[in-house]
Amino acid sequence: TVADESGNFMPGVNIILKGTAKGTVSDSEGKFSLSVPGNDAVLLITFVGYGTTEVQVGSQTSIEVNLQPDLTSLDEVVVTGYSFDKRRELTGSVSTVKTKDLTVTPTGNVEQLLQGRVAGVTVISNGQPGTTSQVRVRGFGGFGANQPLYIVDGVPTLDISFINPDDIETTTVLKDAGSASIYGARAAAGVIVYTTKKGKKGQKLAVTYDLMAGVSTPGKGQDMMNPTDFADWTWNAIRNTEDANARAGGVAPDYATAFAKFNHPQFGGGLTPVIPDYINVGGAAGVTGSVDLAAEKLKYNIDPRNGSIYQVVKANKQGTDWYKAITRTAPIVRQTIGVSGGGETHRFYIGLSQQDQQGILKNNSFKRYAARANSEFDVLPNLRLGENLQFTYLQRLGLSGGDGGRGISADENDILSAFRMPSIIPIYDEFGGYAGTAAKGFNNPRNPVASRDGQANNTAYQAMAFGNIYLEYDVIPGLTLRTSIGGNYYQNRAHNYSRWQYENSENNSAFGYSEGGSYRFGWTFTNTANYKKTFGDHGIDVLVGQEALNTGKGWDDNESGLNPFSWDPNFINTTNTNSRQAGSYYDNGANMSSYFGQVKYAFKEKYILTGVLRRDGSSVFGVNHRYGTFPAVSAAWRISAEPFMQSVSFISDLKIRGGYGTMGNSNPIVQYNKNNQYTLYGGNVGNSSYDISGSNSSATTGFYRTSIGNKDTKWETAVTTNIGIDGQLFGGKLDVIIDFWKKDTKDLLYQLPLPATVGYNATPPYVNVAKMQNKGIDIFLGNKGNITSGLSYEVNVNGSFLHNEITEIGGGQKYMTTVNPGFRGINPIRNQLGQSISAFFGYQVQGIFQSSEEVSTAATQSGADIGRFRYKDINNDGVINDADRTFLGSPVPKFTGGMNFTLRYKNFDLTAYLYTSLGNKIFNVSRWFTDFYPSFQGAAISNRVKDSWSPTNTGATIPIFESASNFSTNTQSSSFYVENGSYLRLQNVTLGYNLPTALLEKFKMTKLRFFVSANNLFTITGYNGLDPAVGGAADTNFGIDVGNYPVTRGYTGGLNLAF
Amino acid sequence: LNEDLLATPQGIEASLIAVYSQVNGRGNRMASPSNWVWGSIRGGENNKGTDPGDYSDINPIQRFEAQSTQGVISDKYNGLYEGVARANATMRILPKTDAKGSAAIEAQKVKVEAQVRFLRAHFYFELKRGFNNTPYVDESVDYQKGIELVGNDKDLWPMIEADMQFAIDNLPETWSEAGRVNSWAAKTYMAKILLYQHKFDAAKAIFDDVIANGKTTKGAKYALLPNFSDVFKASNDNSAESVWAYQSAANTGSVNNANPEFDLNWPYNTGPDGPGNCCSFFQPTIEMGNTFRTAAGLPLKNRAYDLPANELKTDMGLESKDPFTPDAGPVDPRLDHTIGRRYIQYLDWKPFPGKAWIRNQPNAGPYQTKKYVYYKTDKGTNQDNSSWTPGYTAINVNIIRFSDVLLMAAECEVEAAGGSLTKAMDYVNQVRTRAQNPADFVMGLFNAGATTDYLNPVMDYTKPAADYQIALYTAADFATAADARENIRMERKLELSGEGHRFFDLMRWSFGATPTYGIDDINAYLTYEAPKIPSGAFTGAKFTKDQDELLPIPQAQIDIQTPDILKQNPGGY
Repeated sequence: TVADESGNFMPGVNIILKGTAKGTVSDSEGKFSLSVPGNDAVLLITFVGYGTTEVQVGSQTSIEVNLQPDLTSLDEVVVTGYSFDKRRELTGSVSTVKTKDLTVTPTGNVEQLLQGRVAGVTVISNGQPGTTSQVRVRGFGGFGANQPLYIVDGVPTLDISFINPDDIETTTVLKDAGSASIYGARAAAGVIVYTTKKGKKGQKLAVTYDLMAGVSTPGKGQDMMNPTDFADWTWNAIRNTEDANARAGGVAPDYATAFAKFNHPQFGGGLTPVIPDYINVGGAAGVTGSVDLAAEKLKYNIDPRNGSIYQVVKANKQGTDWYKAITRTAPIVRQTIGVSGGGETHRFYIGLSQQDQQGILKNNSFKRYAARANSEFDVLPNLRLGENLQFTYLQRLGLSGGDGGRGISADENDILSAFRMPSIIPIYDEFGGYAGTAAKGFNNPRNPVASRDGQANNTAYQAMAFGNIYLEYDVIPGLTLRTSIGGNYYQNRAHNYSRWQYENSENNSAFGYSEGGSYRFGWTFTNTANYKKTFGDHGIDVLVGQEALNTGKGWDDNESGLNPFSWDPNFINTTNTNSRQAGSYYDNGANMSSYFGQVKYAFKEKYILTGVLRRDGSSVFGVNHRYGTFPAVSAAWRISAEPFMQSVSFISDLKIRGGYGTMGNSNPIVQYNKNNQYTLYGGNVGNSSYDISGSNSSATTGFYRTSIGNKDTKWETAVTTNIGIDGQLFGGKLDVIIDFWKKDTKDLLYQLPLPATVGYNATPPYVNVAKMQNKGIDIFLGNKGNITSGLSYEVNVNGSFLHNEITEIGGGQKYMTTVNPGFRGINPIRNQLGQSISAFFGYQVQGIFQSSEEVSTAATQSGADIGRFRYKDINNDGVINDADRTFLGSPVPKFTGGMNFTLRYKNFDLTAYLYTSLGNKIFNVSRWFTDFYPSFQGAAISNRVKDSWSPTNTGATIPIFESASNFSTNTQSSSFYVENGSYLRLQNVTLGYNLPTALLEKFKMTKLRFFVSANNLFTITGYNGLDPAVGGAADTNFGIDVGNYPVTRGYTGGLNLAF
Repeated sequence: LNEDLLATPQGIEASLIAVYSQVNGRGNRMASPSNWVWGSIRGGENNKGTDPGDYSDINPIQRFEAQSTQGVISDKYNGLYEGVARANATMRILPKTDAKGSAAIEAQKVKVEAQVRFLRAHFYFELKRGFNNTPYVDESVDYQKGIELVGNDKDLWPMIEADMQFAIDNLPETWSEAGRVNSWAAKTYMAKILLYQHKFDAAKAIFDDVIANGKTTKGAKYALLPNFSDVFKASNDNSAESVWAYQSAANTGSVNNANPEFDLNWPYNTGPDGPGNCCSFFQPTIEMGNTFRTAAGLPLKNRAYDLPANELKTDMGLESKDPFTPDAGPVDPRLDHTIGRRYIQYLDWKPFPGKAWIRNQPNAGPYQTKKYVYYKTDKGTNQDNSSWTPGYTAINVNIIRFSDVLLMAAECEVEAAGGSLTKAMDYVNQVRTRAQNPADFVMGLFNAGATTDYLNPVMDYTKPAADYQIALYTAADFATAADARENIRMERKLELSGEGHRFFDLMRWSFGATPTYGIDDINAYLTYEAPKIPSGAFTGAKFTKDQDELLPIPQAQIDIQTPDILKQNPGGY
């Protein structure tokens, strides 16, 4: 019988009689039988993710083996590019992740699960269910399209969200050229190879059921002022403004006049503010006393189609917690049924899964139903036919943020609205309608509850099919031919409704409806021949192959209209709307044609040499540069096998690896501008139409140059160098993997900005001009052992240091002029030579001006006054201007790492998993809205402002709270907004209990485990915003927090059951 | 779509449409010919309005603290060069279009070229008066053909004149489509170009011809409409007064055709009772309101309108529910077609309620703009609801209208050799005569005695809303060139207020006998306005000579083209 470390039976374990080809596989109860020639027989027992165990049979007739999981088993079979390798023989930099690590956290997209699991992989994500994440393997190779290539059962894809974590068998990250350049032109950003579960030969039918259910809690919002404080601080702002004006005019401040002039519509014009009882009674503000509600109800109207709006809104004197109002405790369920089995000539796995995850924001959710069927048949003893196929239904609702959700932190979304709505405004008016800033004096935030509720009828879905069919033929022993045809079909449709608003100061003045959809079909055709043979001490492994693919052809369409007769969603379609618009778009995809080969030679498993060569052709490049060739060599020396090392007793195994090679990248063009080689003209009603006939109601569409082509554009090339060691110390107690690496990307694809004279609307072509360097150290340490009998532990730590630097921009340019995102007039980003990508740029706040003397003796600074920012005169010329801007930090973490700690005691297991990101900065521009009075005066104020500068609070970092909005207050990008984004988070703690074997047998089960988990139990950070996990949609532009969707605490429980 | 597909008779028309389209800047609101920021706000007619922090990139512009890195400045530069690029693209396609021997197609090609060159002259004219010299690129340079090496060392005027002359020589007098430019528009624009160079003699000759013989694209002889207020109604688009206007249209599928550059410039928080509802930008200044004060029907001289005795009474600092009675003194009737003020009927909506329709009165003052505002009766037809705010209209944006022509011609009469001060006065009086039309007075006198609820004032719609007093000038007022000059300049301010001309007028008037005219005017306005605005929006602001006349060349362009090729304008940028 074979069982795992916790005593669970292990089906599908390989048992081989050492020195022979004879072997068997354990059945669903972990049982096996094998006849052995005699007492000397040795069984080799192997299973993916577990160490090889050798058992001396001796005279035993019944053998019970408990396999121990391996941290980095040297004999682990690693799925690499187009083939399998033993970790012992790897020469490149490869990391693997265990499936059980991928299934502990309740996340909708498996890419997110790599966070903190693999040294050298940086993942920045947010709390939205189903969001995409910034997944970066060894830094940011280029200015865009840096996401890794995913290979699922041999088929490449860039979107992995359809995969159910419970279906995954192996996850392998190929990090350097030595391992990844077999994928040539698409490998520069790293390759992540997934295989899904398969049945084993001779395996009895096994059924597994995995359930996870729980909740995420919204946590607390930002600390905003209550109505009384809000009114008082509004008064402070007027007082402070009067002080400044009086000082400028050389007169004494006259507060009474200042308040009278200011005359707040709600709080009056007296020396102290008066909190009204009603903030809106039919348009009148600041109403004190009682209101005849019965009479008012007769005038009530919240339907703009029926004339003027008439609302009665009571002041919420206790204060509305708007964050609480838009959030909820959100449930999550994930369950998977797996059925696997195999006979002599066939093997299969079927996975049926459901995930339903609600977001902490209302009307935000992720659903996935997936059916996976993998099977393989031995048509002949040496001919196998197989398929891996998944059908998926995916639904993401209420997701916001660019590029599939990862851009949310930079959006002015409902989360920001919750921190802009003054707490005195209630959620609803007296008669059930929404309350909002239609009550005067509170500026323009929109009621976020109304906004979330308005999305209730929005719907969307994606239907996908993904997989491949393959044939494998063993021509002679060691030589296998394989052909595979893979496909990727995708279809989606979405319907969106937008409210005709009435409750805000700025309202949408129409009811909108839009719908749209798209489909894509891509294919991959791969043929390989692999020859593996050992001749005495010499082992060779040769792979040659050919691949052709199309990234996906298809159409998109979208339609919209306004003001249908009825707002009932059952009535609405575009036919029933007015002002209809329709559009469509087609995409031919990109074609690629590739040839590749790999030769590996090993001498006594001591000296290993690998060479890889791939030649890729792509339709996205002009004929001059359509093909690129990407070679790599790597070697390893098992130094521990040398006689001179035998005396070093604490080293069990030590291998030194080194590799050098190039990988290509065409992703920026494939993803963003497939027509890069062509100059194109186009036009649409928005950009180039004109009412040439003077009709007042129609416009003719004209054509202008939309993009400029370049036929000389070619592949970008990443040159990587990697030196690493793999070691096992102290008899396998400590595993060490360390890699020193450097990745220089040259001929970097960049849309080199053209002078405006060329035409601002014509997209510049990508040209190969820039250079970027990434370098770092990846470390993995694993330790395991027994504390006492029955109590064992396992700790593994991984960490990576990263340095990212732009080393050339091209065209003689010093920075990227075209990437200059603006946030209400603040431009925080500059991608400049010698700095990291997406670095923050602006004025360095030296302090707050404390006195008129300080203002007059300091460098000349526009708008300078007491209590305002004093910027540093970087060039010491006595004037603060553009030239004094400097770099204020980078959102690229200097170090990321994870720690996984497991304790096992008898049938219990306890796992804790921590993640840390260090050295990254966040540009918290949300403070522009909440910490400054004039940004949108009347909107909510942060409680932080109570610590703003005043003559009696001179040590403050927040400037004086006043009306002025100028260069010295809130209008410039400055270090005020830059905060330390480092954090340490306990991502998951899980306590599990396995039913003892004896009990299991009674119920005919092979495994029953119960678990409870807490996710994101705590986060240690100095960051002021909601959550320090701040990403972005584009790598040249991330780390900006306007309204980040936080990763919050959650609790789950569940069971794992197997028959 | 590649270039070959456009090199056809249909293709060159489509390419031309894209050039016309770009005249309003499209995605670049700051490049629109309305010049609401560059002409009106910098000219002191209107302020940015709204909250101090809202679109704060405009704050340094109204305070004359422009920086070369400002987005609004790049926006103007980029939008205008997109127009130039579209014109150049069409010019490149034209010779590739094979007429296959057809004389009609050859003639069409010439007419397309003439329209394109008119529009290119316009884009360069806007660049010239905004930035002085910028790189001159025509169809002969392009990407990978040396375009990045073209600097700003050449005077643009000769090239602008050459393009406009080609247009004059080759455009027809009329078209069946009202949106096309004709030869008279080209002549008028040429005269304006000459006027900006102080070439008064040549300009006068053209103005004489235009005033005597000019007609619109639809063949109507140029004339003033009977009512001043009719100029800003969508139903009067392409009237006899329209020399060249940007054709706006509502409900076309994109609000970019419906004056997107004005979408923020509306009263605030009106709900369905008023137009636009957002965002309180572009509020008329207190000083602009005062300018409409008259004495004996004539405007006050030497800024006397800003004296406490003459200032217009406003409801600054008052709530809409607070008692208020409007100014009872004499004013030019154009005041209430230009500025929305408390208890004066706001088009066909309702009496302007004051602070209730203003976002931030302490920062932006008591007024709202009134020109280019849609009427309630135009809602849904000449107004477009398809975007985030309702403030989109089909009202054409006047680039040159006939009263502007008369007043430019009047200037030439004063300055040109052989000019006549009498003729100058006649032109000014033509403009004033139209303004005198009592049929166009805003009606509805606030009845203070009968009003108890100040949110719902009682109005007497049989009486004019204010004491409208406007008289014609007499020979004594135009006795000297200096007097004539002053009166014409004042008339332009009153007639064209809020239409984007004033700053550029002030700059070109700073010459000859009045070298610091514009600088003094702007500094006087800032000094007057600053204490009136409690938020401090203008406190400490001043115009600096030899710097603020021009905008800085966008820093990003200098960084791309290098400072050796693209030189920055004077000033400490």
